Amino acid sequence: MSYKDYIRNFSIIAHIDHGKSTLADRILERTGLVAERDMKEQILDNMDIERERGITIKLQTRRVVYHAKDGNEYIFNLIDTPGHVDFTYEVSRSLAACEGALLIVDATQGVEAQTMANAYLAANEDLEIMPVINKIDLPSADPQMAIEEVEEMLAIEAADAPLVSAKEGIGIDEMLEAVVERIPAPEGDEDAPLKALIFDSVYDNYKGVIIYTRIMDGRVKKGDMIRLMATGKVYEVTEVGILAPGFVPFKELKAGEVGYLTASIKQVADARVGDTITLQENPTPEPLPGYRQVQSMVYCGIYPAGNEKYEAVKDALEKLQVNDAAFVFEPETSQALGFGFRGGFLGLLHMEIIVERLEREFNLSIITTSPSVIYRITKTDGTVEMVQNPSNLPPSVEIAKMEEPMVKANIMIPNEYVGSIMEICQDRRGRMQHMEYINENRVVLEYIMPLNEVIYDFFDALKSKTRGYGSLDYEFVGYEPSKLVKLDVLLNKELVDAFSMIVHESKAYQRGRFVCEKLKEVIPMHQFEVPIQASVGSKVIARETVRAYRKDVLAKCYGGDITRKKKLLEKQKEGKKRMRQFGSVEVPQEAFTAVLKYDEK
Amino acid sequence: MKNSIGLYIHIPFCLRKCRYCDFLSSPADREGRKAYVDALCEEMKNRGPEAGPVDTVFIGGGTPSVLEEDLILELGKAVRGSFDLSSCQEYSIEANPGTLTEEKIRAFREIGVNRVSLGVQSFNDRLLRTLGRIHSAEEARRSVQMLRKGGIDNINLDLMFALPGQSLEDWEETLEEALALEPEHLSFYALIIEEGTPFYEDLRSGRIRVTDDETDREMYHRGLALMEKAGCRQYEISNASKPGRESRHNLKYWTMQDYLGCGLGAHSYLEGIRSSNTEEMKEYLRPGGKTVWVHPNSEKDTREEAIFTGLRLVEGVSKVRFFDKTGRRLEEVYRAEIDRVREQGLLEETPTHIRLTKKGMDLANTVMSEFIEVE
Repeated sequence: MSYKDYIRNFSIIAHIDHGKSTLADRILERTGLVAERDMKEQILDNMDIERERGITIKLQTRRVVYHAKDGNEYIFNLIDTPGHVDFTYEVSRSLAACEGALLIVDATQGVEAQTMANAYLAANEDLEIMPVINKIDLPSADPQMAIEEVEEMLAIEAADAPLVSAKEGIGIDEMLEAVVERIPAPEGDEDAPLKALIFDSVYDNYKGVIIYTRIMDGRVKKGDMIRLMATGKVYEVTEVGILAPGFVPFKELKAGEVGYLTASIKQVADARVGDTITLQENPTPEPLPGYRQVQSMVYCGIYPAGNEKYEAVKDALEKLQVNDAAFVFEPETSQALGFGFRGGFLGLLHMEIIVERLEREFNLSIITTSPSVIYRITKTDGTVEMVQNPSNLPPSVEIAKMEEPMVKANIMIPNEYVGSIMEICQDRRGRMQHMEYINENRVVLEYIMPLNEVIYDFFDALKSKTRGYGSLDYEFVGYEPSKLVKLDVLLNKELVDAFSMIVHESKAYQRGRFVCEKLKEVIPMHQFEVPIQASVGSKVIARETVRAYRKDVLAKCYGGDITRKKKLLEKQKEGKKRMRQFGSVEVPQEAFTAVLKYDEK
Repeated sequence: MKNSIGLYIHIPFCLRKCRYCDFLSSPADREGRKAYVDALCEEMKNRGPEAGPVDTVFIGGGTPSVLEEDLILELGKAVRGSFDLSSCQEYSIEANPGTLTEEKIRAFREIGVNRVSLGVQSFNDRLLRTLGRIHSAEEARRSVQMLRKGGIDNINLDLMFALPGQSLEDWEETLEEALALEPEHLSFYALIIEEGTPFYEDLRSGRIRVTDDETDREMYHRGLALMEKAGCRQYEISNASKPGRESRHNLKYWTMQDYLGCGLGAHSYLEGIRSSNTEEMKEYLRPGGKTVWVHPNSEKDTREEAIFTGLRLVEGVSKVRFFDKTGRRLEEVYRAEIDRVREQGLLEETPTHIRLTKKGMDLANTVMSEFIEVE
């Protein structure tokens, strides 16, 4: 028997909230090398934001030891995957490091959009997919329904699926035995030239970039000169080891094993997910398939707010980039907001995460502008420009053709919502491709939709209209010609470029009116009337007015207690500090996000 | 020698809490009142020796006039016994028309009171009921007569405007009735609906509505004109008086002069140090120190306070006084701020003062907050 026979490399995949992290906790509890007292609530997630949103963004991989009933010790490499549509490529690379996947299905919910999306990703990597029915302890659990849905919708045999409750610890041992029996041991030739997959990387202040890798063939040890095949860069390995948890140095890693290596790499962008590591001296002839350079799909402006320093924001962005190869940024200027940056993201969630981290981890006060996608503009002189900042849109007379990015969206909803969801899809210029009844209760709708409609508020609308039961998965499918216009906002007759957005011609009026109404709600009264206007070109298409205030005096005599008055004035001043001055108009920071929020009407 | 100070004494009792009131006050029985006055006398006895001569006294509340005669006398005796009142010019007490009797007025006189501030609020019985006041307009009128007869020649009437359901005409009627009584002093406050009051709940549930800004300001400026015509001249945002009858005690608050506050939750400002007493009655009644908060003003505190208290005065913040209090030149420290609000037509600068314009009076918080520096 080879050492490889005692290794199981697998991921846990699931729709959001189906219990992935809790199940991972249980696995760690029932296996070796994790002490009870080390257990945090969800040991796989280590970022605040993840915990709050209940999703796993950054991969955390663990190696644990399982004592199976056959008397042998098995090494389980539990490879975590991020759980959102924005990170599909990252998920696929994590899965490529595995031989199998546990597909968690909530016994009260059944198969959801991301269950399907993740199952397809796993199938694409030829993984052994082992369904696990979770939450069987809940009164509304219907494991049989879940099993049937898996078989019908995913064509995966599920009759033997372990029935578990990760929360209550039911069925976990049976499931672990099933992992040993059903998930194949890794293959690969440890004597062949090194061929290892980078499936994640993190930045460490002392070690530099730490690459998470799966060795497919060959071996790697400290001192080896390695080459990253996509970038062609060569490094000397300074350390290899396992993730157990924490970084535990080993002598070497060999075919079938999962672990980490460091090589004095300066930023994660140099160790790209999906890239192949080989040895400089004895390279493998072919890299692993599936490598893709990550591409930003959504952009927005990031500006220092109030008294925040430009340099502080720049510093933070650089630090984030070191750890997040999918995030890109470059300096830009706005007439309204001054010096700032344009950030590029995998999707809207990715953007929100970065923005939240800037605010929370780095304690920065920032303003973000309307998110935008990249438009392909063909000018009358035949040149093609990719435009993501509305301010850079050429004058309409110079534009011969405009194209916008489209996505294929799979939307899974309970059937009673079909009507209202079709309505919001149509409203967002979606074209229905396909509609399928999975069973008598649930429907999958497939739409081709403009990405700019999806990033605007589609997900919020979907959740709101389906009371949270709707789920969404989307992928980029290409560019399509479109009639787009630039919508501008004027405050007190002055254009505020930070509010400008590119919208479809048919939506300009509706969006313009919405933006004006929202701004009216959030812009405080001034000593004068503030007209808010939305315009396309020179034509004003919507208008609102913020009334002038006449009084804010609050005179009271507290028998010499001036502390209350002082607090009141301080609060007023602080409110004012959070404002951004545009001409003579003060605009609170919320205004920039308020105009983006889904508004149920 | 120590500076002269103002003495504030807080009586946190009332017969019933008014629907708009968020002051530290509540009903209490005789026993509670007695225990409190005893504790108050003890506090004065302890703090008196450290204090300079007292040239103004203000007994406020609450409703100090809910105290029975014997308690008023006990209190008055302790004031005289604890402080040097030889230079005292003004000795005020607040009274509610529903609680005033000839006997109490006699007691006021006996302890040295020479000014009474009467909480009239309105001469409209419907509005008095809305406010939850315990008295009628007629009782207010009778109280003024009673005070005059009892020898009080310095009377303030407290009035409120911008009340729910109050028209401009209602307010004018109230003012005319008030002026007909020829008070020496008038205070007129726009209703502020504070969180935690019954009015706040009424507002949220839609039972009452706030007065719109336009009407509020019309009432204010119309009121000032009526008072002016009757010889009562505005000297502070919410106060007007006959010449020479300005409240000396309240002026101390607005010109950063020293005052000592005794009683529940009372605030003091002495030699650059702000402090306050506990707001918990149980704690206050325990023997020993009552002070729970002490804050030596920083230079920034003093600067900012001098501005936002001084701007309440019609004459504004005196540059000389500002320099005297802070050691810095007002027109230099706040050059940018002064210019900014001046350009908005909210502030005037003269060689000696900065002061609010008429529009600035309406937007006083905008002006004052301009001078506040926050982190």
